[in-house]
Amino acid sequence: MEHTNRGPIPYWNWIPAAFALAGVIVFIFATFGPPASSSGFVSLLKGFFEWTAPEYAASNPHYNSIPGPGSWLFTFVLGMAVGGFVAGRTSKRIPVRDMPPIWKKRFGDSRAKRYTATFFGGFLILFGSRLAGGCTLGLFISGSSQLAVSGLYFGVVIFGAAMLTARLIFGKISGKEETQ
Amino acid sequence: MTNIWLGLFSGIAFGFVIQRIGATDAHRMARSHLMLDSDIPRFMLLAVALSAVGVFGLQAVGVGRTLPLPTSIVATGLAAVIFGVGWGLTGYCPGTTWAAAGEGRMDAIFALLGGLVGAALFAHLHETLIPILYDPTNVGQITLTDLFGNHAVAVAVLAVGFGLCIWGIGKLWPSAERVDAFERGPDSEKSSSNTGNSG
Repeated sequence: MEHTNRGPIPYWNWIPAAFALAGVIVFIFATFGPPASSSGFVSLLKGFFEWTAPEYAASNPHYNSIPGPGSWLFTFVLGMAVGGFVAGRTSKRIPVRDMPPIWKKRFGDSRAKRYTATFFGGFLILFGSRLAGGCTLGLFISGSSQLAVSGLYFGVVIFGAAMLTARLIFGKISGKEETQ
Repeated sequence: MTNIWLGLFSGIAFGFVIQRIGATDAHRMARSHLMLDSDIPRFMLLAVALSAVGVFGLQAVGVGRTLPLPTSIVATGLAAVIFGVGWGLTGYCPGTTWAAAGEGRMDAIFALLGGLVGAALFAHLHETLIPILYDPTNVGQITLTDLFGNHAVAVAVLAVGFGLCIWGIGKLWPSAERVDAFERGPDSEKSSSNTGNSG
């Protein structure tokens, strides 16, 4: 499908989509509290260590600060996976790919290379999130919605660092397209 | 118990919306970071501005719960740099990895596994790193309301500031309708079975 992009773009228009997401976020604030997703990783790990190494889980301050998998935080990320699955299955136009075309163009067809890179990148985003106390959602979006300076500060720096990184990685091949 | 179902329901709704806007598509995220596609950044900023107004409304009627995180000048900034490098490299952030993994993107599944390792390592080092990096420059749970003295004024400042950013991004970056050549180019000759849509 992505080969015939002459047609309209397959994604929702950003304005109604933003209203939809804001509706979900305000619903979460009303029924639970500030939404977060990096905490779901910790929640899952806590469940794993409570099962395999109970003393370790009980003595670690990071696991003590977050509830285990039987909590909103974990069912939320689980729900995200379900939501992604349902949305993917019901969309005939949004392509599901194992590798982004821009990555293929820059680094070739090697799946091992891409998977190694995303594993390492995933490591970085979660390590960073846990140091700051939240991620794009848990700190930038939910923090800024509450006017927290931490969320705004985090948001500015993550965008800056990501834009710089993307430019260093893909910059060579994106140059041509920018001129159009 | 209710919380579990509320979390699941909220997650499904959230995951659905971010898939439809293309935030789970690492290709689209890379193009956003390269300033080739303005839709995702504008979508995020507008969603936050609207949520800020919504949260203000909730607080006015006394519904829900808020908990702003503290700002640590060193730790929050350093964490954001580490995060940003990972985000720019993969095109995924913690929330989108779950939705993209659910969608069936293999690279997101590896990002999720890497994320579990990263979170586990940080949890292991928590006792060492927090006193060194976080606590010394922790200035507390400050918000714009503290700076401007009034919640309504602070919300208005945020909304206007984000509005200006949205306008500026729209002016400076092309939107998805205008740039489609690049999307068409690289994939056309190398299509394989995994690139098919899931419909």
